[in-house]
Amino acid sequence: MKDDSVKHPQAAAEFLKDRAQAKWHDSAIWWVRQKRDAQAKQLPEWEELRRLAREIKAHTLSQLDDYLAQFEANAQNNGVTVHWAADADEHNRIVHSILAARQVKKLVKSKSMLTEECGLNPYLEQRGIEVVDTDLGERIVQLRHEAPSHIVMPAIHLKKEQISELFHKELGTEAGNNDPTYLTHAARANLREHFLTADAGLTGVNFAIAETGGVVVCTNEGNADLGTSLPPIHIASMGLEKIIPKLEHLGVFTRLLARSAIGSPVTTYTSHFHQARPGGEMHIVIVDNGRSDILGNEDFYQSLRCIRCGACMNTCPVYRRSSGFSYSYIIPGPIGSTLGPSRDMKKHGSMAFACSTCGSCSNVCPVKINLHEQLVLHRKKAFDQNLLPTGKKMGLLAMRFLTQHPALFDLGGKVMRKVVPIIPESLTRHSAWSRAGRDLPPMPAQSFKEQYQQRSQNKQDKEEQQ
Amino acid sequence: MSARDNILARIRQNRPQASALPDIHAVPFIRYDDQFEAFATLIRNLGGDAVQLQDGQSVADIVAARWPDAGRTVDLTVAEHEEVDDPHAWHDVDVAIVPGQLAVAENATVWVSHPDNRFRSIYFLTQKLVLVVPREAMVDTMRDAYARIDIAEHGFGAFISGSSRTADIEQSLVMGAHGAMAALVIFV
Repeated sequence: MKDDSVKHPQAAAEFLKDRAQAKWHDSAIWWVRQKRDAQAKQLPEWEELRRLAREIKAHTLSQLDDYLAQFEANAQNNGVTVHWAADADEHNRIVHSILAARQVKKLVKSKSMLTEECGLNPYLEQRGIEVVDTDLGERIVQLRHEAPSHIVMPAIHLKKEQISELFHKELGTEAGNNDPTYLTHAARANLREHFLTADAGLTGVNFAIAETGGVVVCTNEGNADLGTSLPPIHIASMGLEKIIPKLEHLGVFTRLLARSAIGSPVTTYTSHFHQARPGGEMHIVIVDNGRSDILGNEDFYQSLRCIRCGACMNTCPVYRRSSGFSYSYIIPGPIGSTLGPSRDMKKHGSMAFACSTCGSCSNVCPVKINLHEQLVLHRKKAFDQNLLPTGKKMGLLAMRFLTQHPALFDLGGKVMRKVVPIIPESLTRHSAWSRAGRDLPPMPAQSFKEQYQQRSQNKQDKEEQQ
Repeated sequence: MSARDNILARIRQNRPQASALPDIHAVPFIRYDDQFEAFATLIRNLGGDAVQLQDGQSVADIVAARWPDAGRTVDLTVAEHEEVDDPHAWHDVDVAIVPGQLAVAENATVWVSHPDNRFRSIYFLTQKLVLVVPREAMVDTMRDAYARIDIAEHGFGAFISGSSRTADIEQSLVMGAHGAMAALVIFV
């Protein structure tokens, strides 16, 4: 489970203490962003695809109740049992009751941010069910008793040496062997045993098709497929926003997802589940957990278009330089910074400020969510609800007053340009974002306004001379 | 009210403004002059390979030449093939030769459904996956692919591209995560 009491600036400062690791984190994730760009450029229709995806999702959300009912009816026709959960607790209770009724001892899970959101693993473990996360990155963080730090690359905060040490302890691999291929294949052998001995499999859902009542799960590792084709029970947990109207719409979303997420043309496996395997049973749990409230909020409902590709965090200059653990909500980065405060402003308000408002997230989002605009609106809400630290609040109030009084603003600037150069450095290094060696730049002699007036005057003089 | 009815009622009450469903066929998508070339180039970066069956050659010849020391081999493309009564029984398959219904040029995926075998676990348990696809069953993009497949026919179907892979350790790409370690597509 994630520590939801963290405040972004302090946690980020902590992360940045290891400069080498921070630099690696930044460049490794930026590389994924560049791969995404390379894929996007290969398709002349890329921007049209984003528009289509946005419009399909916008339409679906505008009739979500109808599409959910249609999805349920079609899934039931396929022989699938459909459950509804109002919140995380109800989701966990439903999953547990399915497993308990069938004496399940071991559950293999493929990646599902929803079950992280619901805290399913500890809930089941407390009730005596062994839960094995099977996505390699998720397995690594599970063995370390950590939450994922990225929604697509759960262990991106770790170096191979740390993983080697972990596997040596947990899986008995050779000490000091840091080769990623060796380590991956050791985990493969270990997890194969778990797949073959599991009593049930649980997956997330990437897309749920109203028209056919089936769900689609995309993985590169094949873990969702092994986890659902071997044990007799398949439970698929889905947020209610995962619906798309028709099968043909996958022709848009499967083209966008992996290209946006990891810069690959597609995931290795794009699997469509409509019925249980022979002799088995399939359950789908549809989870609300606050989503229907977000749907009713005019400023923030567009965040429900999200397909969880993670492109927004890969491009985010703040995420790359602060890591997922600096964000209090289970989903980090720009999308998490709107979903978190939508869910609980008191807990997650600091996330909305972990943003330079550069807008890069909105520019890469495959469903064109207005992410940076939503973060600004959340800041306003945090201010209105009096949730800002006193210093930040006073600063904003002062800035508001100044911008409403231009003469005072000019005077303030003049004073700053004189005073800042003579105050001791220790006082100007107070920001959580700054560090030694990043001093304030020298103050200019004139304000922008003065320079502009001077320039206009010079230009006029020149013209008069001619 | 049940959780279901509560949730649906709240969604109905919170519906955002109406928004039209776009026509995804109104937009021109990329076309490939040489679909096989596009497919084969891509799959080589995805832990796989693609070849076209030559005159006088058989699928078995290609497989034998590639993996002369292959262990348990199961060929689902022949009418009289092995069948098991438990999905776990495929756990030690080394090479699985399976029919692929359709190939997609833009991302080197092959659609597999399983009308002829009972348990789909073979696609994911096998160490090496050989997909045999009719050479005329090739489309440009996923949009064309979804227009051609019958999704609910067998309860399960997947697009598979190359071998299973992961980059979860320091972004180093490793082939062979949980599924097949190698993939070969043979167009016949």
